[in-house]
Amino acid sequence: MPVLAIAGVTKRFGPNTVLKNVSLSLEPGEIRAICGENGAGKSTLVKILTGLYAPDEGTVTLGGAAVDIASPQHAQELGIALVAQELSLAPALSVLDNIWLGNREVPLFHRRNSLRVRARAALDQIGLSDLALDTPASALNIGRRQLVEIARMLTRDARILFLDEPTATLSDVEIERIFKALRALKAAGKTVVYITHRLGEVFDVCDTVSVLRNGELVGTRRTAEIDRQQLMELMLGRSAGEMYPSWQSQSGAAALAVKNLQVPPVVRDFSLVAERGTVTCLAGQIGSGAITVLRALAGLSAVATGEVEVLGQPMRLRSVLAAQAANVQFISEDRAGEGVFLRLTAERNLVATKLRQHTKWGVLARPKLRETAAKLANAVGIDRTRLRSPADDLSGGNQQKLAFGRWIGGTEPGVLLMNEPTRGVDVGARAEIYRLIREFCDRGYCVVMASSDLEEVLGMADVVVTMYRGGQVGRYRRGEVDMHRALADITHPAAAA
Amino acid sequence: MTLKAAITALVAAKVRPFTIVLGAVVVLGLIDGGSGYFFSVGTLFSVMQLFATLGLVALGLGLSMLVREFDLSVAGIFSLAGCIAVMTGATNPWLGAALGVAAGVMSGLIQGVIMTQLNLSSVGVTLGGLLTLQGMTYVLSGNQTVSYPNMAVALGLNAPFAHLFSIRSAVALAVFVLAALAMAFTHIGRDVIATGSDRRASRTAGLNTDRVLIAVFIASGALSALAGVLLSYSLGAASPVGLSDVLAPAAAAAIVGGVSVVGGRGSPAGIAAGVLTLCILRSGLSAIGVPPYVHDLVTGAILLFIAVLDAPELARHITAWRLDRAERRAQALARNSI
Amino acid sequence: MTELALVTRFEKHRARVRHAALWVRLAAAAAIAAFALTTPGFLTPLSLNALFTAISFVGCVAVGMTFITLTGNIMSLALGATVSASALMFLATLSFGIIPAFLLTVLFAVIITGLQGFLVGHFRANPILVSIAALSLLLGGAAFVTGGHRIYPAGEGLAMFKGRIAGIPKEALCFFATVLAGQFILSWTRVGRLMSMVGSNFRAATAAGIDAAMIITAAYVIAGACAAVSGVLLAARYGSGDMELGAGYDYTAIAAVLVGGTGISGGSGSTLRTLVGVTVIAIIEVVLLLRGFSEQLQYLITGLIVLAVIMLHAAGEKR
Repeated sequence: MPVLAIAGVTKRFGPNTVLKNVSLSLEPGEIRAICGENGAGKSTLVKILTGLYAPDEGTVTLGGAAVDIASPQHAQELGIALVAQELSLAPALSVLDNIWLGNREVPLFHRRNSLRVRARAALDQIGLSDLALDTPASALNIGRRQLVEIARMLTRDARILFLDEPTATLSDVEIERIFKALRALKAAGKTVVYITHRLGEVFDVCDTVSVLRNGELVGTRRTAEIDRQQLMELMLGRSAGEMYPSWQSQSGAAALAVKNLQVPPVVRDFSLVAERGTVTCLAGQIGSGAITVLRALAGLSAVATGEVEVLGQPMRLRSVLAAQAANVQFISEDRAGEGVFLRLTAERNLVATKLRQHTKWGVLARPKLRETAAKLANAVGIDRTRLRSPADDLSGGNQQKLAFGRWIGGTEPGVLLMNEPTRGVDVGARAEIYRLIREFCDRGYCVVMASSDLEEVLGMADVVVTMYRGGQVGRYRRGEVDMHRALADITHPAAAA
Repeated sequence: MTLKAAITALVAAKVRPFTIVLGAVVVLGLIDGGSGYFFSVGTLFSVMQLFATLGLVALGLGLSMLVREFDLSVAGIFSLAGCIAVMTGATNPWLGAALGVAAGVMSGLIQGVIMTQLNLSSVGVTLGGLLTLQGMTYVLSGNQTVSYPNMAVALGLNAPFAHLFSIRSAVALAVFVLAALAMAFTHIGRDVIATGSDRRASRTAGLNTDRVLIAVFIASGALSALAGVLLSYSLGAASPVGLSDVLAPAAAAAIVGGVSVVGGRGSPAGIAAGVLTLCILRSGLSAIGVPPYVHDLVTGAILLFIAVLDAPELARHITAWRLDRAERRAQALARNSI
Repeated sequence: MTELALVTRFEKHRARVRHAALWVRLAAAAAIAAFALTTPGFLTPLSLNALFTAISFVGCVAVGMTFITLTGNIMSLALGATVSASALMFLATLSFGIIPAFLLTVLFAVIITGLQGFLVGHFRANPILVSIAALSLLLGGAAFVTGGHRIYPAGEGLAMFKGRIAGIPKEALCFFATVLAGQFILSWTRVGRLMSMVGSNFRAATAAGIDAAMIITAAYVIAGACAAVSGVLLAARYGSGDMELGAGYDYTAIAAVLVGGTGISGGSGSTLRTLVGVTVIAIIEVVLLLRGFSEQLQYLITGLIVLAVIMLHAAGEKR
């Protein structure tokens, strides 16, 4: 008797259908992986099963009885626990309080000894024996926060546990501890659902794997009966090559030279050289510093120090205006929070940086502005009829294209920095974005990209720089590094420079 | 301990409210210069009387700030509850008080439900609430002062015992103690701080943040109502009070008391200290004979100071400025040595 | 269903929702207009005069508040006091002549609000708190300077503000001019466009290379200028002033802004809409008065309507 079964689940966000008719069932004591590319619908599925979203169509059955999981609280009552992809610790609370936060069985007087003991046991189980229960969560680094979240999940008396990309910030050693905890859960008859796009982990700890592609479930296999290559083909639906444009690698003049970049507390002594017409990828997990480096180069960090030269001229750090004056442009990893003006129209988003050129005596030349917006929309492949819609109505992919379109039409090709350019973007738009990136290169831009998606890195980069916890691990030209080596670099503690 | 370390410890957010109270007492004592106006029983009693009213409202407003909202309607329910109590509590003061507080509970409940179900910011909803409650007060009172005939209650509430306290201030203190205990020893405190600190994360962790918000606004309404009821009883009259009379001092008290306007930080003890500071300043300054406008100036200055101190980007600017200066020095040095 | 068909169906649905919201607003406006026009005594010069008066003084403040709200700073509780202080300043400097007095008053108000804008923009200090602090400082400072006395004009010339042009009181014309100037800035200038971007998302604006702190300071400066205009008009009308002149304006102003349709979260806003909001609130008040509702009930009903409108707007914005 399956402990959890779903049938025909469909979910739409606006014009996008993110999950199409998904059905699967889970047995007790099973560790199931759910795999898929960025934007395949994995996180959405998990959010439906843990009460954060409601499905538009389909049924969810728990232990044979149909249920409607109305909220995270309700999910907890039903015996479902979650370690979410976005960390959900309250920074102002202590580790102990965070572990028990939202737990329904906590009595009114909540710091009882029994709770402390159980929290301690959970922390010890995943190797955090040295972490004091009263430490404020804000004092922990990202890796430890992730582990505390997992400890929280362990203290929930749940029969089904969901982990959404739980190892994104962890080292090899820490990952192995998690696996041990998961195997113990399996032995106790619990069911674990493990979302990841790290194929190695799928084969290390999971019994079965379900693959989502473009919102559809394309297959479920036992991990013993499938190999990595077949799994990848299931995920991509085609050979990997078609996603990424092909090009001739060119060498150009050095466009960006970074020496001794320090961004406390994460990045120390980072140096980088990037050439015109090339894509340099900083590959690293969350917390590796790749994103921090590019934000600092874009002028968004108040504490960054170091020497930076752009196109031969020195550039001041800690000022966005200085970076833009130096022809350094930036596409943020936090699209909703920083990249796009969600409530403004697509048109206004596209021309956001072009206002000066359309202003005379302080007054905007609005018809000319609209023309420019139309041209930019064309250049990035956004339908002109969408220009008047609020950016919020567009899909993630189209919003990302807005972010790119903003930087087209500059006078002189400069340096384009981008963090996680295809995060939350569906497969179709991703291919278009990769094409756009290459177009920027062809026009003479120096593109530097930070990404935690190794497939993307290997598919797009002329130069790969692997990073781990704030420092560079390795630097490779295209073809000199493979997936295995890259993954080892970004998760192996011993190789930190 | 070095001086710098001592200062840093005293200014730390959790300890700051108490440092400020002590500071106020010291400063006023110095200004007073031993003439006995400040350190007198009369002054301290009036401090506690002010505390009785301002404290409850500040506690309610402070709670709403803890969850990263702002209850603009406190002044409205303060007036309305006072009116209701005075009009219905002539023969049975307990009935009047109960009805007044019930009005506060209802007001908080309705606003809280509107906010959570429609996913609205508290500013718009409590603004509408304020105007509505104020309007109701006008209607009920016929735009006139309503008098409260039960003089026994009025005098009894204000009668001093133990020289410094009256029933009103004792009630306020008791409420604070209860609140402090509840926040420290039950999961209520943790849930409120979590909701204010990161609402999305708390929700994902399984906390029913809607319920927390509604509870906070009910508490805020009830506390302001209680304050209004007690004050009206003790004055022997209720009147539609001016809009800003209670809001600004309550906000100032909460902030001086260490409550962070973006939520996640603060405690009833801190709020009590903040309220004490403001009451000491008001009573103390007038006891010493300083003209009343000085009180406004001092309150404004303190509020401004703390608003800047707590400003999120302040640290960033200071750090950036320091780094810029260091870099300029390094460059100048490099140039000079060439 | 194909992707394209789904998209089109969704866009049509969104358009329908927006149209529905528009129809509701038009219907509400029509209802209010009908209510007003069928009220005996509404179209008399006396009541229309009262209407114009009601909207002119608080209306200027509402225009200024619009700038503060749409740049994402929610509201200011100090604008009313700024109005009063400006009135006092104007009266006190009249001895220098009307134009210099006016300019000095504007400068004065702009410095007061500009400093607040600087703190809010550069340090991201909480705007409501900063305004409460400014309110206290203004009240205390004014009491210190005036000693609690009323201020009387120090010179001649107030008469030019009185009277009408084409039947409309001059004060109302000043108000309309302020509305139009404000709308021009918002719709037609680069600064206005930048304000809407900063209000929509401060961080995104910074990342796009906009000096967001400066833009917020500019919004506060404009609000100060509007408060100065209101103060000057009030001083001219009443011939003397104290700090009670502008008391309570802040709440009415923000109510007018919200009723007009500017969202409390910022990013979009228009002074024309605020004009509508001010007018609607004033019409309701005048009509209620004419129909014999007591002043108390007026207050209550206005409050309920404001609450209802805010909820309607927000519900319309929700997905």
